[in-house]
Amino acid sequence: MPLKKVIETRKLNRVFKNGDIEVHALTEIDLVIEEGEFVAIMGSSGSGKSTLLHILGCLDKPSSGEYYLDGVHVNKLNKNQLADIRNQKIGFIFQSYNLLSRTTALENVELPLVYDRTGRFTNSKELAKKALEQVGLEDRIYHKTNELSGGQQQRVAIARALINDPALILSDEATGNLDSRTSIDIADLFVRLNNEGKTILMITHEPEIAQFAKRMIYLRDGRVLTDELIKNRSTKESALKALELIT
Amino acid sequence: MKQFLKTFKVAFQAIYKNRTRSLLTALGIIIGVAAVIMTISAGQGATQEVQSQISGLGTNLLMISTKTEHRGGMDVRMGRPIDEKDLLMLQKNSVWMPKLSPLVANGVRAIGPQGNKSTTIYGVSSDYFDILNREIVSGDGFTEEDVKTARKVCVIGETIKKELFSSADPVGRQIRIDKVPFTIVGILKEEGKGTMGQDQDDMLIAPYTTIQNRLYGRRRGYNMIMASALSEDHIQDAEIEATELLRETHRILEGEEDDFEIMTQVELQEITGNVTGILTLILGAIASISLIVGGIGIMNIMLVSVTERTREIGTRLAIGARESDILTQFLIEAIVLSLAGGILGIMLGILGNQIIYKTTNFYIPTAMDSILIGFGFSVLVGIVFGYFPARKAARLNPIDALRYE
Ligand SMILES: Nc1ncnc2c1ncn2[C@@H]1O[C@H](COP(=O)(O)OP(=O)(O)OP(=O)(O)O)[C@@H](O)[C@H]1O
Ligand SMILES: [Mg+2]
Repeated sequence: MPLKKVIETRKLNRVFKNGDIEVHALTEIDLVIEEGEFVAIMGSSGSGKSTLLHILGCLDKPSSGEYYLDGVHVNKLNKNQLADIRNQKIGFIFQSYNLLSRTTALENVELPLVYDRTGRFTNSKELAKKALEQVGLEDRIYHKTNELSGGQQQRVAIARALINDPALILSDEATGNLDSRTSIDIADLFVRLNNEGKTILMITHEPEIAQFAKRMIYLRDGRVLTDELIKNRSTKESALKALELIT
Repeated sequence: MKQFLKTFKVAFQAIYKNRTRSLLTALGIIIGVAAVIMTISAGQGATQEVQSQISGLGTNLLMISTKTEHRGGMDVRMGRPIDEKDLLMLQKNSVWMPKLSPLVANGVRAIGPQGNKSTTIYGVSSDYFDILNREIVSGDGFTEEDVKTARKVCVIGETIKKELFSSADPVGRQIRIDKVPFTIVGILKEEGKGTMGQDQDDMLIAPYTTIQNRLYGRRRGYNMIMASALSEDHIQDAEIEATELLRETHRILEGEEDDFEIMTQVELQEITGNVTGILTLILGAIASISLIVGGIGIMNIMLVSVTERTREIGTRLAIGARESDILTQFLIEAIVLSLAGGILGIMLGILGNQIIYKTTNFYIPTAMDSILIGFGFSVLVGIVFGYFPARKAARLNPIDALRYE
């Protein structure tokens, strides 16, 4: 039985028009990501990584080309349906965490369920606690955002991305604001979640973090330059050892 | 509906997390609503006060006076004065006005054992007390006989009694009015302050004959003739009757205008009702402006709040909030703030009325409709001034909002 395609794009283009100037942020992206994959997206600044992630995350629409997410033809959806798709199928993780301030970890993690209209989650508190356990924050449940370190805040954000049991987790430079050691912890967390069956797509600038993934896509000027499997994947131990050699 | 409740909770949490700012935001509404309640209540209170004093004036009162016109800021008498001839004619012919009294008023100086005082003396007939509902609490007052023989007797008000005669009952004692000694035959029941703040107990009442004959010599005319109609239902009849009789006596031809004026209690109530009603309206309108200013305050702070929370809005949109969820959230925030402000304002207004009552003794019943107006207005303000910021929040592009610094 072939694996389920979580993402399938056909000739995806994204053109930004600023007056007379056209920026081709993405050109003819054909991409298939199957269930259980862990993909790192790399590329220099301005290569179109975030633009791709926004389209895959249904926050933006392609200028042309088709996009199927978990079997749903996204092009045909209206704004409300897109919002519901984001709520049901996607978990976002951002560089700057984007947690609600002065709010407990638990409430932050519960947030996506506020907008759940399917009624498939009955006990949001229990689910939020479970998600926080998954990211190793079971002893910080009632801490407020400002009482947590950067790494802990990013873990809360990851728990928030997990709570709705999404088909796809999208991360845009989740480790961009964190030190090397904490970055490795977060990357290791991604590996664990992936081992539990989550499909993950993460943008990163750091090769040592990308090395945790199973597959790497390299973008240049809005096109896929390389797309290959990673042979000797990093583990937490190997990455920490490498880190010690440098310092 | 379930979604609405969830959004409602979100809005409430947002308000609670920004308690200080929420309170400051609501402050404009609090003050506005309190101002509306206090002014409308004060206006209505004053109206009721005036009305009750007018009905306390006398039962089924009619006042007949010479026609006056405003000329160069002065009241000028237009017709022939109302005089004894008119009085006798009315007494003889009237069916609907069983009680009639002339009124001649004069400023005088009264001297008693404790001091002297300038006051007003009213010359009237013995019917006067019934017409104006004024009770005599001590002594017997004066009779028709006293009026006929122009005896030098008078009834005094409580203020005169207090200032000129210490505490002892002065009935039977003498009082000098413009050097002429009068015998006191009664004390008026205390009435307190009148509609315009005048002291209704600072007066002397004597037979009009005495005043005309003994004090000032016979002058032509009275200030007015007061009458009471047989019953409330017959005020109109009395007015028509008086008009006909006086036109006849004054030999006014058909088609010519009256040279006298008749004011009934009902008309008096209508006029003052109009004046105080307009006053209430104006004050209420001014107070409403402060409500609108409060609403603009809410809009202002909500706009700031939308800008400040741009990232939060972006996050909510990214994790699946619909535009309508964001719109509802911010609209609820605005409405809850202004509604809470409205309720606090109502309480503040009632408290203000109480304080005015405690300090000035001017009782203001808090008008029920002012509460409803204040309440309705604050909800309206919340919706109207909350909508624009809420729409702005809902229309944010999630990608830009997430990037917002
Ligand atoms: N809203 C927009 N309007 C116009 N041009 C845009 C817009 N968003 C992105 N672009 C352009 O599209 C291109 C790709 O941008 P994108 O943000 O995807 O790059 P990136 O690979 O994420 O870069 P970085 O690593 O710096 O985050 C850039 O040239 C950028 O200027
Ligand atoms: Mg980017």
